[in-house]
Amino acid sequence: MTNLSDRQLLKELKDRLQERTKYEHEIKVLSQELQVVTTRFKESEALKSHFISNISNEIVNPFTSILGLSKSILAVEKNDWKKVVSMVALIHSEAFNLDFQLKNIFVAAKIEAGEVTPNIAKVNVRNIIQTMIESFGLVARKMGIEIEFNFDIAYGFGKNFYFKTDSEKIKLIMSNMLNNALKYSYKDSKVIITVTADEDFLTISVQDFGTGISEKNQKIIFERFKRLDSGINSINRGHGLGLSITKALLDVMGGSIEIDSKKGEGSTFTVRIPEAKNVVDGFSGEGNDIFFDDDDEIF
Amino acid sequence: MNQYLQHFLYPSTLFASREPYMVKTILGSCVAICLWDPVNKIGGINHYMLPNWNGNDLASPKYGNIAIEKLIERMVQLGSKRDNIQAKIFGGGDLIAVDRSAMLIGERNIRVARIILEEKKIPVIASSTGGRKGRKILFFTDTGEVRHKFIDKREY
Repeated sequence: MTNLSDRQLLKELKDRLQERTKYEHEIKVLSQELQVVTTRFKESEALKSHFISNISNEIVNPFTSILGLSKSILAVEKNDWKKVVSMVALIHSEAFNLDFQLKNIFVAAKIEAGEVTPNIAKVNVRNIIQTMIESFGLVARKMGIEIEFNFDIAYGFGKNFYFKTDSEKIKLIMSNMLNNALKYSYKDSKVIITVTADEDFLTISVQDFGTGISEKNQKIIFERFKRLDSGINSINRGHGLGLSITKALLDVMGGSIEIDSKKGEGSTFTVRIPEAKNVVDGFSGEGNDIFFDDDDEIF
Repeated sequence: MNQYLQHFLYPSTLFASREPYMVKTILGSCVAICLWDPVNKIGGINHYMLPNWNGNDLASPKYGNIAIEKLIERMVQLGSKRDNIQAKIFGGGDLIAVDRSAMLIGERNIRVARIILEEKKIPVIASSTGGRKGRKILFFTDTGEVRHKFIDKREY
């Protein structure tokens, strides 16, 4: 270094000091950020372990019931066969629940592995929703809940309405919405399903007259593993994956979901799904098109 | 080109294979990272839409930090050594020119790619990122070659 005048030296020192303060500030900001991330991580870990204990209940309990019930059936005397019917009904409802939970868990795993893609076909929407309603029929009847189905699509007399979409995903979304609606309904009430179509969109709404969700909670119910009543005494079963799955599946199909709910009055969940195009822009269905020309850049 | 199996890569998904595949995808502000292992001829690609996982949704490869981590994991599962893997980055254009406050998702998507790849010591040997246009890319998993073309398209 060359000789510095006193003035230059002072300036240099001042500059360096200033720079230092800047870095100190930056470090402070960064460590604050780190704190936030750590808290989030802890939260996430807690939720995860909660989820695991939850899920083992979800799987183990139905199995125990099914095993117990089938054992009782085996032990029934021939002339007592009428008892069997009610036990079979119980087995069915446990197995139904188990099937529902497992499907959700596997789909969540698939989504997280990045393996969920749209699988588009012409879907008979009325048919598919009717089937879903029927599958939940037993559960609904047990709770004295009537499921009302309004299919508000005028579509030629005696013709079926077809919509290009992914039927398996619609089924999962529907089953989650229905399951929630029934789960949070009071006994002897009603669940209303309304289906409409406009232009290129299919809209399905599921309305219940149950507990409802406060405005504050409406923001967090889509978070994974989140359940509003996750206490040990919670009357409702579930793992809190349903709505995160619904949202992720809608993402894949380009759809959206909205809640309209008031605490104590019930909730309406509405999904809107755009009709899928046959062709992903720029790609033909078979993928045999000449996609690239000679002027492509090659990396 | 006909001996190649084909795969169309949707957003938020991953693909990796030991077999020779031709993977196509379309990118707007999304970013796709092509990883290639020249020793074992294994190629993998992701397609993420947002830079970082918010901790709330399912931890899916919709988010850059998760998509990169999972793709590397997948490559390792298929038999790659981390040290052999090289990367190419594509996409991250900012197509929504109308609203400049669109939070520059493309740019943030690119940044997360560079940061994580550097952290993992995976060399980025080629890239075409940013700009105002969308991109179509074709990735050949056996040679690691990427064919690339700009498109005038809306958001993907």
